[in-house]
Amino acid sequence: MAKRLLIVDDDARFRALLRMVLEDAPEFEVVGEAHEGAAALAAARELDPDVVLLDVHLPDTTGFELTPQLTTTASAAEVVLTSSRGDETYQDLARQAGAAGFVPKHELSAAAITGALAVT
Amino acid sequence: MLAGRLAQRADRAVAHVIATTDDEDRLYAEVLAAMGEALDCTLGAAWEEDAAADVLACSAVWCAPGTASDPFVAVTKSLAFERGRGLPGRVWSTGQPAWIVDLADDPNFPRADEAAAAGLVSALCFPTRSAGGVLGAIELYSPEPRIPDDELLATMASIGAQIGQFVVRRRAERSVRESEERKRAILASALDCVITIDHNGRVLEFNRPAEETFGYRAEDAIGREMAELIVPPSLRERHHAGFMRHLETGDLVILGRRIEITGMRADGSEFPVELAITRINLPGPPMFTGYLRDITERKRTEAELRGSRTRIVEAADEERRRLERDLHDGAQQRLVHLNLLLGLVRSRLANDPASARSTLDEAIAELAAATGELREFARGIHPAVLADGGLAPALSALTRRSSPPATLVAVPDQRLPAAVEATAYFVVAEALTNITRYARASTATVLVAVDDGKLVVEVRDDGCGGADGNGSGLRGLADRAAALNGELRVQSRDGEGTSVKMWIPCA
Repeated sequence: MAKRLLIVDDDARFRALLRMVLEDAPEFEVVGEAHEGAAALAAARELDPDVVLLDVHLPDTTGFELTPQLTTTASAAEVVLTSSRGDETYQDLARQAGAAGFVPKHELSAAAITGALAVT
Repeated sequence: MLAGRLAQRADRAVAHVIATTDDEDRLYAEVLAAMGEALDCTLGAAWEEDAAADVLACSAVWCAPGTASDPFVAVTKSLAFERGRGLPGRVWSTGQPAWIVDLADDPNFPRADEAAAAGLVSALCFPTRSAGGVLGAIELYSPEPRIPDDELLATMASIGAQIGQFVVRRRAERSVRESEERKRAILASALDCVITIDHNGRVLEFNRPAEETFGYRAEDAIGREMAELIVPPSLRERHHAGFMRHLETGDLVILGRRIEITGMRADGSEFPVELAITRINLPGPPMFTGYLRDITERKRTEAELRGSRTRIVEAADEERRRLERDLHDGAQQRLVHLNLLLGLVRSRLANDPASARSTLDEAIAELAAATGELREFARGIHPAVLADGGLAPALSALTRRSSPPATLVAVPDQRLPAAVEATAYFVVAEALTNITRYARASTATVLVAVDDGKLVVEVRDDGCGGADGNGSGLRGLADRAAALNGELRVQSRDGEGTSVKMWIPCA
């Protein structure tokens, strides 16, 4: 059963490319995209995804602040944080915020996301 | 008897002169006249020691009216006697009075011819002396033969002592006067305010700079309590307590150091002052001297310098943040895309080669864009052509790329110190960026020239003007220029275009 996934990032090209990569992978089904925090919360309520792939740096908030809000909504989705900045210290910050894990953007793949989810 | 009377007359006459004369320059002349008349002598001369040359030189000559003695007077004034030579010289050397009965007969009298021509026959001479020794000699000449007289000789010795002491005392007084004058002149010409107070805190001295700085005339300040005059009301309590504590305990906390405090002018205005206090150690109750300097200007300059440094550091931090953002939003983002694209190429290679190939084309395009952005980014940090080729090629490239097009009117060919070239480049870059963003101009010119050891950089445009010289961008350039001991000037009247001009030393 493919996991239903929501992509949240303000870079449109990135969202498009990641969508293509994940659509090639059987584990995931991309059900929606959002470009900022407010839109992400709305999309999560509407689409009820299993996984939210969430960029740390958003125009209106940060992934760390948004994670608790996403995980406690009705959807109770799992969050995987990502960023082109940051390093291994983001792993701890991500878990403290309640996310499943953190994957640096240049390592992103279906397998990497699956790996981050598996740690829980 | 007669001689005794002569001696008394001479003694009284000289005592009178000493008591009444207050012009020491005329002392010798008056003494000679008084003694000459008292002793029936027709000519006298006073000699004083010239310590440097170790001779006696003539200080004064007196003739009784009607004496024809010009050659004698002339030769007397012109001579200087070493110890032992001539009449004054022998008296100087022996320290005893001398008496010549017949001048023509004396083996040690160089002026014999002139004396004979003047009709002078006898002479007596006695030393003037003080506690320190013989100062000089006084000689008196008579046309009549005179026989040595012990009483007269004793009197002359005593007169010699009186005259000597008088001269020495007058010299000491003059020396003190001159020293006072010198001190006063030093105080008056001092740049610092010098204020002296007594142990009650009352002003004893108040020099000219103090008058000018604090706004009181010295005569109005002297005798007043210093604290009332120059210490701000809010600080008087503390000043008073400190002063009292020092007087009681000898506590030296504030003495001999420079401190910065607030002073007050006659009009009540307060200003920063640098102060050093010393204690004057003379017998009697203590006195204190304060040396004060108005440091308003210095404080203002320090504050400006601190402000400028802070701005430079903040600008550097801001610059770093901007660079990080630019990297992140530009090249880094492209590399993330590249990563995903190559991932797609690999996953599609086996099953959908055509899609893989077109994705690979996209990847190549993305890489080219990323490389271009990195190059641009590097050039923004420090263009390679500036380091390699100097201002000429670097500014050519900059003006070619700018919009509206900018003309590089002049640029020196020679290389300059790296900091100078970098500052000039970035001033031009920033000015051109401002023109592109705000000026709505149709043309811009850039002029760079070396003039009299300074590099002059001017960027002008014909746009709408109204640039704010205090805006952070232009102020950052002004700070950069100031850090290199240069200056920046912005002229930008509304509707009249803008000129940004900078001078920095480059010699």
